[in-house]
Amino acid sequence: MEENKRIIIDNNNPLLKKDGLFFKEFPSDIRQVRFFSMLVVQKAPPEIKEINLLEQQISELIKNAVRHGNKNDMSKKVKIWAGFGNDHAHVIVEDEGDGFKKLEEWNEFNKKRNECFANQDFEEMEKYFSFRTEESNENDGGNALFAALEYWDGGVVFTEKKNCIAVYKNFGKKKYGLELN
Amino acid sequence: MEIKLKKYSSVYIIEVIGDMDLYSAFELKDVVAKMLAKGIAKYVLDLEKVEYIDSSGIGVLIHVYSTIKKAGYKLKIANVHGSVEKVIRLTKLTHYFPIVSSLKEAIGLLER
Repeated sequence: MEENKRIIIDNNNPLLKKDGLFFKEFPSDIRQVRFFSMLVVQKAPPEIKEINLLEQQISELIKNAVRHGNKNDMSKKVKIWAGFGNDHAHVIVEDEGDGFKKLEEWNEFNKKRNECFANQDFEEMEKYFSFRTEESNENDGGNALFAALEYWDGGVVFTEKKNCIAVYKNFGKKKYGLELN
Repeated sequence: MEIKLKKYSSVYIIEVIGDMDLYSAFELKDVVAKMLAKGIAKYVLDLEKVEYIDSSGIGVLIHVYSTIKKAGYKLKIANVHGSVEKVIRLTKLTHYFPIVSSLKEAIGLLER
Protein backbone atom coordinates (compact mmCIF):
# COMPACT_ATOMS: atom_id res chain seq x y z
CA MET A 1 0.00 0.00 0.00
CA GLU A 2 1.42 3.36 -1.05
CA GLU A 3 0.89 5.10 2.28
CA ASN A 4 3.21 2.56 3.97
CA LYS A 5 6.24 3.59 1.93
CA ARG A 6 9.35 3.79 4.07
CA ILE A 7 13.01 4.48 3.63
CA ILE A 8 14.77 1.13 3.85
CA ILE A 9 17.96 0.60 5.89
CA ASP A 10 19.87 -2.35 4.50
CA ASN A 11 23.54 -2.73 3.53
CA ASN A 12 22.72 -5.66 1.27
CA ASN A 13 19.96 -4.04 -0.73
CA PRO A 14 20.53 -4.47 -4.50
CA LEU A 15 20.07 -0.72 -5.04
CA LEU A 16 23.41 -0.19 -3.27
CA LYS A 17 25.27 -2.21 -5.91
CA LYS A 18 27.47 0.06 -7.99
CA ASP A 19 28.17 -2.30 -10.91
CA GLY A 20 27.78 -0.58 -14.25
CA LEU A 21 27.26 2.89 -12.77
CA PHE A 22 29.48 5.85 -13.60
CA PHE A 23 31.25 7.69 -10.79
CA LYS A 24 31.70 11.35 -9.92
CA GLU A 25 33.15 13.05 -6.87
CA PHE A 26 32.52 16.61 -5.72
CA PRO A 27 33.68 18.88 -2.90
CA SER A 28 31.10 19.90 -0.29
CA ASP A 29 30.40 23.27 -1.86
CA ILE A 30 26.77 24.24 -1.31
CA ARG A 31 27.09 27.03 -3.91
CA GLN A 32 27.66 24.45 -6.62
CA VAL A 33 25.09 21.82 -5.72
CA ARG A 34 22.88 22.48 -8.74
CA PHE A 35 25.88 22.58 -11.04
CA PHE A 36 27.03 19.18 -9.72
CA SER A 37 23.54 17.84 -10.19
CA MET A 38 23.50 19.04 -13.80
CA LEU A 39 26.87 17.33 -14.43
CA VAL A 40 25.29 14.06 -13.32
CA VAL A 41 22.04 14.53 -15.20
CA GLN A 42 23.75 15.42 -18.48
CA LYS A 43 24.57 11.71 -18.80
CA ALA A 44 20.87 10.86 -18.92
CA PRO A 45 19.43 10.02 -22.34
CA PRO A 46 17.30 12.72 -23.98
CA GLU A 47 14.35 10.32 -24.08
CA ILE A 48 13.84 10.81 -20.35
CA LYS A 49 10.98 13.22 -19.91
CA GLU A 50 10.92 15.81 -17.14
CA ILE A 51 14.70 16.06 -16.93
CA ASN A 52 14.18 19.22 -14.85
CA LEU A 53 12.47 17.18 -12.16
CA LEU A 54 15.17 14.50 -12.26
CA GLU A 55 17.83 17.20 -11.83
CA GLN A 56 15.88 18.69 -8.93
CA GLN A 57 15.58 15.34 -7.16
CA ILE A 58 19.29 14.55 -7.58
CA SER A 59 20.15 18.06 -6.43
CA GLU A 60 18.23 17.43 -3.18
CA LEU A 61 20.30 14.29 -2.50
CA ILE A 62 23.55 16.16 -3.09
CA LYS A 63 22.37 19.10 -0.99
CA ASN A 64 21.57 16.77 1.93
CA ALA A 65 25.00 15.15 1.61
CA VAL A 66 26.77 18.52 1.58
CA ARG A 67 24.71 20.26 4.28
CA HIS A 68 23.68 17.53 6.69
CA GLY A 69 26.27 14.84 5.94
CA ASN A 70 29.51 16.73 5.40
CA LYS A 71 28.29 19.85 7.22
CA ASN A 72 29.64 22.09 4.44
CA ASP A 73 33.21 20.97 5.17
CA MET A 74 34.92 21.63 1.82
CA SER A 75 37.63 19.05 2.55
CA LYS A 76 34.98 16.31 2.62
CA LYS A 77 33.77 14.79 -0.62
CA VAL A 78 30.40 13.74 -1.94
CA LYS A 79 30.66 10.58 -4.03
CA ILE A 80 28.04 9.83 -6.65
CA TRP A 81 27.41 6.72 -8.70
CA ALA A 82 24.67 6.89 -11.31
CA GLY A 83 23.23 5.04 -14.25
CA PHE A 84 20.50 6.09 -16.64
CA GLY A 85 18.48 4.34 -19.29
CA ASN A 86 15.39 5.25 -21.28
CA ASP A 87 13.28 3.56 -18.63
CA HIS A 88 15.16 4.20 -15.39
CA ALA A 89 17.48 6.32 -13.27
CA HIS A 90 19.63 4.80 -10.51
CA VAL A 91 21.64 7.08 -8.23
CA ILE A 92 23.80 6.47 -5.15
CA VAL A 93 25.10 9.41 -3.09
CA GLU A 94 27.60 8.92 -0.27
CA ASP A 95 29.03 11.53 2.09
CA GLU A 96 31.78 11.41 4.73
CA GLY A 97 29.54 12.33 7.65
CA ASP A 98 28.36 10.36 10.66
CA GLY A 99 25.10 9.37 9.02
CA PHE A 100 21.45 10.40 9.26
CA LYS A 101 20.95 9.38 12.90
CA LYS A 102 17.30 10.29 12.96
CA LEU A 103 16.27 8.13 10.02
CA GLU A 104 13.99 5.82 12.03
CA GLU A 105 12.42 8.91 13.59
CA TRP A 106 11.95 10.31 10.08
CA ASN A 107 10.14 7.12 8.99
CA GLU A 108 7.75 7.43 11.94
CA PHE A 109 7.25 11.13 11.21
CA ASN A 110 6.45 10.32 7.58
CA LYS A 111 3.99 7.62 8.64
CA LYS A 112 2.06 10.11 10.78
CA ARG A 113 2.29 12.67 7.97
CA ASN A 114 0.72 10.21 5.55
CA GLU A 115 -2.07 9.43 8.01
CA CYS A 116 -2.93 13.13 8.16
CA PHE A 117 -2.97 13.34 4.38
CA ALA A 118 -5.12 10.24 4.09
CA ASN A 119 -7.63 11.80 6.52
CA GLN A 120 -7.31 15.23 4.83
CA ASP A 121 -6.68 16.62 8.32
CA PHE A 122 -5.09 19.90 7.27
CA GLU A 123 -4.84 21.33 10.77
CA GLU A 124 -2.90 18.33 12.11
CA MET A 125 -0.99 18.10 8.84
CA GLU A 126 0.72 21.44 9.46
CA LYS A 127 2.78 19.77 12.20
CA TYR A 128 4.20 17.40 9.60
CA PHE A 129 5.07 19.70 6.71
CA SER A 130 8.71 19.85 7.63
CA PHE A 131 11.04 17.40 9.40
CA ARG A 132 13.44 19.48 11.44
CA THR A 133 16.36 18.65 13.69
CA GLU A 134 18.56 20.83 15.87
CA GLU A 135 20.82 21.23 12.81
CA SER A 136 18.09 22.61 10.54
CA ASN A 137 18.35 26.25 9.56
CA GLU A 138 15.65 28.58 8.31
CA ASN A 139 16.48 27.91 4.66
CA ASP A 140 16.04 24.15 5.01
CA GLY A 141 12.74 23.10 3.53
CA GLY A 142 12.72 19.90 5.61
CA ASN A 143 10.52 18.27 2.96
CA ALA A 144 12.98 16.88 0.41
CA LEU A 145 12.82 13.25 1.55
CA PHE A 146 9.00 13.20 1.49
CA ALA A 147 9.13 14.08 -2.20
CA ALA A 148 12.06 11.68 -2.75
CA LEU A 149 10.07 8.74 -1.43
CA GLU A 150 7.29 9.57 -3.89
CA TYR A 151 9.52 10.33 -6.86
CA TRP A 152 11.97 7.42 -6.57
CA ASP A 153 9.33 4.75 -7.07
CA GLY A 154 11.87 1.90 -7.31
CA GLY A 155 12.99 2.50 -3.72
CA VAL A 156 14.96 4.72 -1.34
CA VAL A 157 17.62 2.85 0.64
CA PHE A 158 20.20 3.92 3.21
CA THR A 159 23.21 1.94 4.39
CA GLU A 160 23.27 1.02 8.07
CA LYS A 161 25.79 3.81 8.72
CA LYS A 162 23.16 6.05 7.05
CA ASN A 163 25.67 8.17 5.17
CA CYS A 164 24.90 6.62 1.80
CA ILE A 165 21.57 6.74 -0.02
CA ALA A 166 20.53 4.78 -3.11
CA VAL A 167 17.46 5.62 -5.15
CA TYR A 168 15.79 4.20 -8.26
CA LYS A 169 13.21 5.69 -10.60
CA ASN A 170 11.20 3.81 -13.22
CA PHE A 171 10.13 5.82 -16.22
CA GLY A 172 7.15 4.65 -18.22
CA LYS A 173 8.27 2.74 -21.27
CA LYS A 174 7.70 4.51 -24.52
CA LYS A 175 4.98 3.06 -26.67
CA TYR A 176 5.67 2.84 -30.34
CA GLY A 177 3.16 2.59 -33.15
CA LEU A 178 -0.44 3.61 -33.28
CA GLU A 179 -2.66 3.41 -30.29
CA LEU A 180 -6.11 2.21 -31.29
CA ASN A 181 -9.07 3.64 -29.43
CA MET B 1 15.14 34.90 -8.98
CA GLU B 2 13.40 38.22 -9.52
CA ILE B 3 10.27 39.51 -7.84
CA LYS B 4 7.92 42.09 -9.37
CA LEU B 5 4.99 43.63 -7.56
CA LYS B 6 1.81 44.82 -9.22
CA LYS B 7 -1.39 46.14 -7.75
CA TYR B 8 -4.84 45.47 -9.07
CA SER B 9 -7.52 47.22 -7.04
CA SER B 10 -6.92 46.03 -3.46
CA VAL B 11 -5.01 42.91 -4.57
CA TYR B 12 -1.23 42.76 -4.69
CA ILE B 13 0.27 40.45 -7.28
CA ILE B 14 3.70 39.07 -6.50
CA GLU B 15 5.24 37.85 -9.74
CA VAL B 16 8.15 35.49 -9.25
CA ILE B 17 10.55 35.13 -12.18
CA GLY B 18 13.20 32.39 -12.26
CA ASP B 19 14.13 29.45 -10.06
CA MET B 20 12.83 29.14 -6.49
CA ASP B 21 15.77 27.23 -5.14
CA LEU B 22 18.11 27.05 -2.17
CA TYR B 23 20.00 30.09 -3.40
CA SER B 24 17.15 32.52 -3.80
CA ALA B 25 13.77 31.36 -2.52
CA PHE B 26 14.22 33.11 0.86
CA GLU B 27 13.93 36.48 -0.94
CA LEU B 28 10.20 35.88 -1.31
CA LYS B 29 9.89 35.39 2.45
CA ASP B 30 11.52 38.79 3.02
CA VAL B 31 9.28 40.56 0.50
CA VAL B 32 6.09 39.10 2.02
CA ALA B 33 7.26 39.97 5.55
CA LYS B 34 7.64 43.62 4.49
CA MET B 35 4.22 43.63 2.83
CA LEU B 36 2.59 42.09 5.92
CA ALA B 37 4.20 44.76 8.07
CA LYS B 38 2.46 47.35 5.88
CA GLY B 39 -0.89 45.67 6.52
CA ILE B 40 -1.44 44.43 2.97
CA ALA B 41 -4.29 41.91 3.16
CA LYS B 42 -4.77 40.34 -0.30
CA TYR B 43 -2.01 38.53 -2.14
CA VAL B 44 -1.65 36.62 -5.39
CA LEU B 45 1.54 34.71 -5.97
CA ASP B 46 2.02 34.38 -9.72
CA LEU B 47 4.29 31.43 -10.56
CA GLU B 48 3.88 31.50 -14.33
CA LYS B 49 7.55 32.31 -14.86
CA VAL B 50 8.87 29.77 -12.35
CA GLU B 51 10.11 26.59 -14.03
CA TYR B 52 11.99 25.11 -11.07
CA ILE B 53 11.34 24.73 -7.38
CA ASP B 54 13.21 22.71 -4.78
CA SER B 55 12.58 21.77 -1.14
CA SER B 56 13.79 25.22 0.02
CA GLY B 57 11.28 26.84 -2.35
CA ILE B 58 8.48 24.56 -1.08
CA GLY B 59 9.51 25.51 2.47
CA VAL B 60 9.18 29.19 1.54
CA LEU B 61 5.71 28.63 0.03
CA ILE B 62 4.59 26.89 3.25
CA HIS B 63 6.03 29.71 5.35
CA VAL B 64 4.48 32.46 3.22
CA TYR B 65 1.03 30.85 3.16
CA SER B 66 0.95 30.01 6.87
CA THR B 67 2.17 33.51 7.84
CA ILE B 68 -0.45 35.24 5.68
CA LYS B 69 -3.14 32.91 7.04
CA LYS B 70 -2.11 33.50 10.67
CA ALA B 71 -2.33 37.26 10.10
CA GLY B 72 -5.93 36.75 8.97
CA TYR B 73 -5.10 37.77 5.39
CA LYS B 74 -5.66 36.01 2.08
CA LEU B 75 -3.43 34.39 -0.53
CA LYS B 76 -4.00 32.66 -3.86
CA ILE B 77 -1.29 30.95 -5.87
CA ALA B 78 -1.76 31.16 -9.63
CA ASN B 79 -0.22 29.60 -12.74
CA VAL B 80 1.44 26.62 -11.07
CA HIS B 81 2.69 24.42 -13.87
CA GLY B 82 5.32 21.97 -15.14
CA SER B 83 7.87 20.65 -12.67
CA VAL B 84 6.72 23.13 -10.02
CA GLU B 85 3.28 21.53 -10.03
CA LYS B 86 4.91 18.08 -9.93
CA VAL B 87 7.14 18.90 -6.94
CA ILE B 88 4.14 20.29 -5.03
CA ARG B 89 2.27 17.08 -5.86
CA LEU B 90 5.22 14.92 -4.73
CA THR B 91 5.16 16.67 -1.35
CA LYS B 92 1.36 16.06 -1.27
CA LEU B 93 0.60 19.73 -0.71
CA THR B 94 -1.56 20.31 -3.80
CA HIS B 95 -4.76 20.45 -1.76
CA TYR B 96 -3.21 22.42 1.07
CA PHE B 97 -2.03 25.38 -1.00
CA PRO B 98 -4.70 27.79 -2.28
CA ILE B 99 -3.89 27.06 -5.93
CA VAL B 100 -6.03 28.55 -8.68
CA SER B 101 -5.61 28.22 -12.42
CA SER B 102 -5.22 31.87 -13.45
CA LEU B 103 -4.53 35.39 -12.25
CA LYS B 104 -8.05 36.36 -13.28
CA GLU B 105 -9.55 33.67 -11.09
CA ALA B 106 -7.28 34.62 -8.17
CA ILE B 107 -8.19 38.31 -8.38
CA GLY B 108 -11.89 37.48 -8.76
CA LEU B 109 -11.86 35.32 -5.63
CA LEU B 110 -9.96 37.89 -3.57
CA GLU B 111 -12.14 40.82 -4.63
CA ARG B 112 -15.34 39.16 -3.43
